[in-house]
Amino acid sequence: MPRAKSVARKKLVSEPLLDVHEIQGNILAGFNKDHQRLVGLRIRGVAEARKWLARILPHVSSLAEVYQFNALFRLRRSRLGRDPVCLVASWMNIAFSRDGLAQLTSDSDAAALPDAAFQIGLTKDRADLLGDPTPGGETDPTARWVIGGTNHPVDILMILASDDKTRLDSLVVQLRPAPMDGLSAPEIIWEEQGETRTDLPGHEHFGFKDGVSQPGVRGLISRRPRIYLTPRLLKAPGTGEIAFAKPGQPLIWPGQFVLGYPFGDRDGAMQPAPPLGRAWFKNGSFLVFRRLEQNVAGFSAFLKAEADRLSKTAGFPGISAEHLGALFVGRWPSGAPVSRTPGGDNPDLAADSLSNNDFLFTEDTPPPVFLPGVGVTAGTFPRAMEGSKGPVCPHAAHIFKVNPRDSATNLGPDIDTLTRRILRRGIPFGTPLTSLEDDGASRGLHFLSYQASIVDQFEILQQNWANNTGAPTSGGNDLIIGQTKTAARTMDLPSLVPSQGGEKISAPVEWVKPTGGGYFFAPSIGAIRDVLAVG
Amino acid sequence: MKITQFDAPGNIAHGGGTCQFYNPVTHGLTGADVTPASAGEITWNGFPRKFLGTAPGGAADFAGAEPTLTSGHSRNQDEYLEWHVTRNGSGKITSVEFTCEGYDYYEFLGREAADILLGLYQKFISPAVRHADLFTGAQYQKLNRWNTADGAMHLTQQANNLFAEVILAAEATVRRRDAVGREVTAAIPLTKCSQFGDARRNSDPTIGSGVNGFARQGRMITLANPVGLYIDHLDDAGFRLPGDLPVDGWFQILRGTPAHTLRAVFAPPRGAAFTVSDVTIGGIPIKFGGQIAQNITMRLTGVASVANNVQNTPIPCEGAGGAVHTAIAVAASRLPTRGAS
Ligand code: HEM
Repeated sequence: MPRAKSVARKKLVSEPLLDVHEIQGNILAGFNKDHQRLVGLRIRGVAEARKWLARILPHVSSLAEVYQFNALFRLRRSRLGRDPVCLVASWMNIAFSRDGLAQLTSDSDAAALPDAAFQIGLTKDRADLLGDPTPGGETDPTARWVIGGTNHPVDILMILASDDKTRLDSLVVQLRPAPMDGLSAPEIIWEEQGETRTDLPGHEHFGFKDGVSQPGVRGLISRRPRIYLTPRLLKAPGTGEIAFAKPGQPLIWPGQFVLGYPFGDRDGAMQPAPPLGRAWFKNGSFLVFRRLEQNVAGFSAFLKAEADRLSKTAGFPGISAEHLGALFVGRWPSGAPVSRTPGGDNPDLAADSLSNNDFLFTEDTPPPVFLPGVGVTAGTFPRAMEGSKGPVCPHAAHIFKVNPRDSATNLGPDIDTLTRRILRRGIPFGTPLTSLEDDGASRGLHFLSYQASIVDQFEILQQNWANNTGAPTSGGNDLIIGQTKTAARTMDLPSLVPSQGGEKISAPVEWVKPTGGGYFFAPSIGAIRDVLAVG
Repeated sequence: MKITQFDAPGNIAHGGGTCQFYNPVTHGLTGADVTPASAGEITWNGFPRKFLGTAPGGAADFAGAEPTLTSGHSRNQDEYLEWHVTRNGSGKITSVEFTCEGYDYYEFLGREAADILLGLYQKFISPAVRHADLFTGAQYQKLNRWNTADGAMHLTQQANNLFAEVILAAEATVRRRDAVGREVTAAIPLTKCSQFGDARRNSDPTIGSGVNGFARQGRMITLANPVGLYIDHLDDAGFRLPGDLPVDGWFQILRGTPAHTLRAVFAPPRGAAFTVSDVTIGGIPIKFGGQIAQNITMRLTGVASVANNVQNTPIPCEGAGGAVHTAIAVAASRLPTRGAS
């Protein structure tokens, strides 16, 4: 007998209305610009710093603005079939270190922010915890950093971004502290430009497409009409299962990224917003900045030599350097996931946003069930199948390490992993390396991530997972970002040929090296107006 | 009665199938074929998940995880890692002793080799331990003062025994389906469906879903010899002494080997001028043993044989009284080395 319809009816979860005029725009919407400047400031006179803050306040971009623009941009792109070059916006966001905040408010205010790592700051102690190397034999890993750390502490970090390079330049000139702000206005101690690669747009310097996978944040942009921050394309799952907005994009309560909102607990249940030490912490978010230098020539040379060696083994006949690199990342250079196309790259799969993130690591991935009427279909690419002889995507691949998806981890079940997700807003800096030889230039990634807790999110990913041979599951270190102080990093590669044994790769050097950074708090626009700029 | 293999509890009770958990002693391997070898290793964090903070950035309840213990009481540390904190007269921590040894082995020693048991206590806990402290008549008291208030010789948590580990692994080999007939695969639903272990831990759902994954691939499964749960390693990269010195030599393996450690202590090496309380982790001073446990990775190793050997159909979840539970418990009660219950 058919079951009564009412049994199947899902209970609607009501989602909070986001304070779109309060939350800074880069946090939940993301600037997504081709040109982005980071400016590091040190506070000299508190009064001048406040005066300057009041001056730039109307330019602090809000979620409402950035969301609207991104929506318009997508709309134009879908009609044009390419990026709309005439549509240009320029944005600015701002964040404060613990010391910076303490100067502008009080020590007890700053001390009430709920994150131990932010309280300590990204100096020697936290850099040690993250496994950062000490190249010159110093005891302080941050000793040679170009920005942040012990020697170049940043009180205020500005993020300025634009679709147009010239406009970005003028925005920087307009907004950064200047003589008109007074002699003791904040001092500019460092500036650096991030640029989308012109030769390979959207790719980081090792050559892989970045910015493919981001969590879907729950919450409403508006109640009437009902607009979700993250569009919903998929049917709600059964109780206790993880809900997805689109294939591969789990829905996460906003309290995981912005203070003062409901969050999901370790078992996936929604919990009300935790109480905050100060009302003005609401709508703020913690920001991690890491200036990660990439040794592109060293990375390529290692891939080539190691692929040559492996290609002569029974488990990896003829493996190419590109293939080995894909196993290190978990995606091919185009962004196509290894789990869905284990044999070779597939740019069409990479270009299909309903398919390129639709895969699990432990289970065969079921086909997505779209909501009726959303009018989209995913491409017909082979689905990700769990390998019967071992994992298809190595468990030490970068994207497995930092988001193990459906795999249970050392810290609990898959649903717990949702509490570890971050919002990445990074962009490459430096010019792409065009030859095989190292040119000595500094290039890498301005890694930026927003989260509600640096300790429980960013630091778990770096310290507890990427650096750990045994976690989130056993299988070696993340050879892209993992750091070990003592032994060489290793990675277990499952063989490409059934019935052959795997290999353990040993990587004596690290190709990604931290050379700057800091832990910050990006307050709400109201907090800047009513608290920081007035004291 | 000595048994050669677990009976096929769930499968037979529910109408057919082959038991995918086997005894390697009598039913030798056809050969482990999972590559890489680490695929059979299951790891988890040593600090109990239930004492972690709930909200993002919420502090862990370190004090709650290690309350003052008196004899007769077991610890509430349930990730197969327990620890005891030793403090000096001024309240500074002088050592933190970690163990992951099952109590069943010690109960066995208590029955069969009381002198060896006493010797272990005297060597690892205190030379002052006397036979009368550990035994009531001939009966070994696992919650004696030297294993609770004054030390940690072996695990005390009721569920933290070798036997529980075997049962958990055995139960996890049984494939399950939910009310609408879909196979249950996610860690928590599986833990609840099979009723093995505790769904709130780091360890049990992870162990269970790892083993069940092998079962779904049609493999035969057992635990690697020697059966045991081990301390894999301590990540001490963020540990610092005053003057920025690393803590080289502070984490000392006392029983077992690196990656297969049964007992370890975190304490100043001979001649060091500092106490454990002088050590900071990422800039935060150590006030509790649990802060160290949070940086310990635990492991057990499963062995899975050739894939696609066995194709069992998933069976329904355990109802009240769980048939598989009972069947496994009956089968297990016939194991020769089982501790007294
Ligand atoms: C220079 C250093 C880095 C490089 C070259 C790099 C590269 C990449 C690439 C190519 C992807 C795949 C594209 C995508 O899924 O969006 C990716 C994803 C990701 N990376 Fe990194 N990354 C770096 C640093 C980091 C750091 C420091 C973290 C955090 C500790 C991190 C966290 C992530 C996360 C969370 C994802 C998404 C994984 C997913 O959801 O599947 N990355 N990265």
